[in-house]
This record gives sequence, C-alpha cells and structure tokens, in this order.
Amino acid sequence: MMKVPFIDLKREAKSIGGELISKTKEVLDSGNYISGNNVNKFEIEFAKYCGVSDAITVANGSDALRLIIQSLDIGPGDEVICPANSFIASAWTIIAAGATPVFCDVEEDFLLSVETISKCITKKTKAIMVVHLTGKLCEMSSLQRYCNHRNILIIEDSAQAIGATNKQGEKSGSFGIASGFSLHPLKNLAVYGDGGVITTNSQEVTRKIKLLRNHGLINRDECIVWGFNSRLDELQAAYGLLKLNYIEGWTEKYISIANRYSSELTDRITKPKTEEGCRDVFHNYVITVSPKKRNAIMHEMLSKGVETKIHYPIPLHLQKCAASLGYKKGDLPNTERLAESMISLPIYPSLSENEIDHVISSLNNIIKTSH
Amino acid sequence: MKNFYPQQYKADEVFKINHNYLSEQFTDCDEILEKIKSIVKDNDFTLGSTVDEVEKLIAKEADTKNAIAVGSGTDALMLSLKALGVDKGDEVITTSYTFYATIGAIVTAGATPVFCDCREDYNIDYSKIIEKITPRTKVIMPVHWAGRACNMEKINEVATEHNLKVIEDACHALQGEYKNKRCGGLSDIGCFSFHPLKNLNVWGDGGIITTNSDILSEKLRLLRNHGLRNRDICEEFAYNSRLDTIQAVVAKHVLENKLENITKKRIENAHYYDLILKDILEIKTLERSKDIKEVFHLYLLQAKRRDMLAKHLQSNGVDAKVHYPVPMHLQPAARKYRYSKGDFPVSENLAENTISLPVHEFITNEQIEYTCNLIRDFYSKS
Ligand SMILES: Cc1ncc(COP(=O)(O)O)c(C=O)c1O
Ligand SMILES: Cc1ncc(COP(=O)(O)O)c(C=O)c1O
Repeated sequence: MMKVPFIDLKREAKSIGGELISKTKEVLDSGNYISGNNVNKFEIEFAKYCGVSDAITVANGSDALRLIIQSLDIGPGDEVICPANSFIASAWTIIAAGATPVFCDVEEDFLLSVETISKCITKKTKAIMVVHLTGKLCEMSSLQRYCNHRNILIIEDSAQAIGATNKQGEKSGSFGIASGFSLHPLKNLAVYGDGGVITTNSQEVTRKIKLLRNHGLINRDECIVWGFNSRLDELQAAYGLLKLNYIEGWTEKYISIANRYSSELTDRITKPKTEEGCRDVFHNYVITVSPKKRNAIMHEMLSKGVETKIHYPIPLHLQKCAASLGYKKGDLPNTERLAESMISLPIYPSLSENEIDHVISSLNNIIKTSH
Repeated sequence: MKNFYPQQYKADEVFKINHNYLSEQFTDCDEILEKIKSIVKDNDFTLGSTVDEVEKLIAKEADTKNAIAVGSGTDALMLSLKALGVDKGDEVITTSYTFYATIGAIVTAGATPVFCDCREDYNIDYSKIIEKITPRTKVIMPVHWAGRACNMEKINEVATEHNLKVIEDACHALQGEYKNKRCGGLSDIGCFSFHPLKNLNVWGDGGIITTNSDILSEKLRLLRNHGLRNRDICEEFAYNSRLDTIQAVVAKHVLENKLENITKKRIENAHYYDLILKDILEIKTLERSKDIKEVFHLYLLQAKRRDMLAKHLQSNGVDAKVHYPVPMHLQPAARKYRYSKGDFPVSENLAENTISLPVHEFITNEQIEYTCNLIRDFYSKS
C-alpha cells in the first residue's frame, strides 16, 4: 500500500542538500554564529520579497508577534481581538504583553472579517491580530478601512502565509503596522530549527524591536532598555537566504497540488475557494465534512496510508489555558463547528503525482462508499 | 537603525591573541555535519532526541536530577523566574556587576530587579542581601561571575531564613564548583548559556536549565513549548524557547569530546597568568580559594590606569577587553529605579579597574608570557 505522510522534510533537504552543506561550512569558516552577513542579507531580501521597508529576524514566530506587541506599547488594560481558530501563539503573545485577547468568530473560510470583529470592539480595543490561516489572506481592504477609521492597529500573523497576495498583488506582511512570520520547519519557508521574521514599514517599530531582541543594547557597553535575547542564528539565516531562491517555485507547487485537489476531489465535501486574482499559498489544504463522519473519514484515510490532521481540534477559547478568560462552548459557533468538521490533507512541494492521485482516489472512494 | 551586533561578535583580524577563538574551535566540523545529516533524515528539528541526550549529559555535569534545554541563557533565566511564579510586583535581588541579560530576564518576567553590591571577587555580597529583602522579594539571583562560584552556603542561608528561592546565573560556570559541588546544582535552579563565546558553545544561541525539582522541571518543559501538554492541549499560555536539534548535536559533540579539555586548559592558563603577574604591583589578581573550582570563562584583573593599559595591549596585538565598564545600576535602562553613582562602590570601582585577558583553550604559554611582558613593560616605562 502507498503511504502518504502528512509532511516529509527530508525530501526537500535531499533536493538542496549539497547547497545546505556548503552554506554551513561557509558560516563555520567565518567564525560568525550570531548575526553576521547572512542575517543582514536575509533581512534585506525578505523585506524585498514582502514589499516592505524593513524585515527583522528573531528567534521564532511566537517571539516575532510578542516583540511586535511590545514595540507597540500594548499592555495591561488593552484588548487585542484575535481569532480562536489559530495556533496558540497568536493569543499567547497578547497575554505575554499583559494585554487581554478577545476571541472573535470566523467566516466559512476560517478567517476573521469586519463582520466578526465588529461584535468584539470595545473602548479598550487597541489592535486586531489578523491571522492569514492556511496561507489565505483575510479581506484586508475592508479591514483596513474599518480599523483606520477607529484608530485600531492591525497586526498580521503571517506565520502560514509567506507569499500570499491579494488582487492587487500586495503580499502578506505588507498590510498591518507590522507582521510576524514563522520559519519553523513545518512552514512553507522553513529553516532547520526555530526562526521568525517581522516585517514593517514603521521605522519606530524596527528601532524598538532591534533593541529588544538584543538585550536593549545600543553598543557593547550601553543598555537603554531591558530587553531579551531573541535572534535568528546566522546558520539558520543562511538556510533561509538559500531557500528564498526557491520559495516562488515551491509556492507554485503548493498551489498546483491544491488545484488538483480542488478539481478532482468529490463535491460532496467542502473545499477551499480561492477568489479570482488572489494567491492563496496553501500552507494547509483544509476540507470540511460532516462532524459526525469526520473522525471516521480520517481513520479510513489512515488505513489507506494517507495521514491527515486537524488544524486545530480545540479552539483557543476552549483550551484549558484560556479558562480564566471566561469563555464557554457556544460563544463562537462558526469556529466550534469548523473545528469539528475540518480535515487537513497532505500538501508539500515534494509530494509526487502518484501520491496526489492516491490521496484523491482514497478520499473519493471513502466518501462514495460510506456516505 | 543599523544592526550593530555583527561587529559585536566579529572575529577581529587585527589581533594576534584573540578573545574570539571560534574559527579554530570547529575544525572538526565534518564529524558534526555527518550527525546533523542524520537529523534531517528523521525530520527531527525541534525537541529531537539529541536534545534529550544533551539534557541528560548536562544534568550529569551539574549533578542535578533534571536539565531542560531552551533557546538561550537569557531565556533560561526568564523561564526559571516564571516557573517559580515570579510576576508583576515581585522583586528579584541580584548583583549590579553582571551582563545585561540577567536584568533583562527579570524585567521580562514582569518583576523589578533590586541591585546589591558585589565583593572584590565580582560576586554578589551575600552579607548585604538581607538589607534588600522586602515583603515583595521572591528570588535571589546570584551570578557566578567569570566562572567563579558565589558563596552559596551564605546565600542559601539567607534564602531559607526568608523563604526565598535561589536561581544561579551559571552562564559562565559550567563545571565550576563550590565545596566540591557543581554550579547549577547549588540552589533551586541553575541557568547556563551555550552562546558561541561561552565555555561550552554551539553554532548559534542556546541555553539550558538545571534543577533537582521534578515539579519545576515539568513546569519548565511546558513553558518552553507553548504550554503544550501534547499537540492539541494547551495547559497554559507560554513561550516558544527551544534548543534547535542541530545545535544540540553540536553541544553533545563538545560535551563528549572537548569540554574536559576546555575547562582544564582555561584553568592552567589562568594559573600561569596568576604566577607571572603576581609580582607586578600595579596589578591585582584575585585571591584563589580552596573552596572554589573556578572555570575561567573570563580571566579578570584589576589594573592601575586600566584604559591606557588596554590600549597598550590592543595596539600590540592582544585583544584585552573590559567586561564591563558600566555596572547595571548605572545603565540608562536602569534610570527608573533611581540608583546613583556611589550606591555600589565595589561594583563601580571594579568596573573602572577591571580588564580581561584572553584565557581560552587555544592560548599558549608563549602568548601568556608575551602578554604579561607587555603589561610589565607598560608599568615600568610609565
Ligand atoms: C498562525 C501561527 N502563528 C504563530 C505561529 C508561531 O510560530 P513559531 O512556531 O515559529 O513560534 C505559528 C506556527 O507555529 C502559526 O501557525
Ligand atoms: C552572566 C550572564 N548571564 C546570562 C547570559 C545570557 O546568555 P545568552 O547570551 O545565551 O542569552 C550571559 C551571556 O551572554 C551572561 O554572561
């Protein structure tokens, strides 16, 4: 039986292995392990790629968001609106800054919208954390109009959305006051360990984050604000820089796999829709099925060798860690229903046509025979 | 704003006798690269099995039950404070003679740093801790500066008496000992850094926490990984601070093949400096104590006309440095705590007079003699 793992990082490493090794040796020869030329170059190239003035690398995607919030002076007494269907880090960063996350519901496309956030706005709302989940941009122009009008800041969580664009060709990371990216090994643009990037057009944000990530130092001997240590290793920056050369090709691959799924999978499941002219980058390809049948379908897929996952089975407002925030089941009906209905299918550039065939035929068969 | 830190760590080609030895240290990188390749095969880039192995090895080094690898030494300190429940309004007593990270960690944890002067040996003055204790004090955070253990007996005594916890900033002190017990295992929690310029270093940032408490260990494992109990259940909102598996490979390699020699060589070098420098009147080396095994992350001395001496050494190819010229209570970042010059005379005096000489494992006896001759020349001429 053919086995299709949900993710397989060694295939990519194999395809660029030689280059990775020679990059590694270059860094080792330089004797420069923290923030050398590779970090500088990667920041410049990353900013260019996203179409912003500045990119600042940090230790991981969670820290990227945490540093953004801290640099915006959001803290105790402030509220930040955030979708509950996201990775926990989106909400944690708000809590880490001492502010309060206010969970909003999402639309059928898993994303927040003007409609869903407007129910959560209070006098204390300082910002919204816009999560471009699965690599699909939220409807940014209406959100920008709504928020600008009310002096609410937009922070983008672009961890899953490198290279996603709207109809105007504007990329994720270029809409908000600042945006956080993750370079975690499972992301579309990934390094071989933890890593993160912040993009912004605000010089003030850049200045503050560059201080905070490096102990608040303005030179070796002078510390003007107590900061911490959150840096991208030089080695990881070298890998990131190398992979930026490939990201466009890899993104096209994600999209072409998604296109096959969308055209060949049975219409008896709900598939993601890309709006004409936009580019969704499909960090995940998420379908929805009847909640009653979801687990059985996943189980049957696995028995056919296809590994699937759920992003994410327990919404943030119902996690144990959120207990003190006072939410209960039923508060975010769309989010909760989606959490019970969704399935993520394997999608990564090194997936072969045979494997894609196998995923499609397996799922179509399961749906046809059992439902 | 420009990144300034590339310069901060750059191997400086001008010097013959460098502080920075990184281009020499990993000449055996092929061996390490082979191991890294096997990690790629296992898709094992974060919290991989090599991280577990490094944790076991460090626990053995510090003689503690547990070790928990994290993103950096700074994160180690900050997460330790969080694990002990430190939060807004709490106070942490620490030394004014330390690296910025010690204080940054306290502030990041939400607490207020309360500074205490140090003794002539650069370590916190245990006799003055008691004056600093208030109802808000939660933790004492001594720093084993330069790899020389603090008097932990006295510090633990104060802590026990006032029901405080103790976290050792042992970032300089891996394999250091106080009364035959290892640093990092002398209190509630110990914190180490794997920064490229530390005695045990990796190819980027990294750190590790040691503790005998299973409860704290369990808590720290949650705190470093988003508070996740498993992939889907989040117990508490928490940080992402992990040692990359590939860095763990490097750490393991150094632990298994090099650390003993690194420590041994640093101690030998320091003793050789001690021996040659002891009769130069303008120089004061530290008195060595039988109770303490120093591991010499830095070799420090107090020197008359320090800045001139530093220039003299530098212009003759010796990378003499100052760690650090401005104590923490006088940093711009500390302004809001309203300390002033004169508050901590010992720290301030040390900051004005201290110079550090290269002491790493690649420094030879000839280089030490050369350096010491330069120092002798400097004082005999002027
Ligand atoms: C939506 C989202 N936000 C934030 C993060 C955090 O990134 P990291 O794992 O690099 O800390 C992730 C990824 O894990 C994510 O998917
Ligand atoms: C005394 C002390 N504490 C903490 C740290 C922080 O370690 P790291 O650089 O790994 O964050 C350092 C080193 O930089 C240090 O010298």
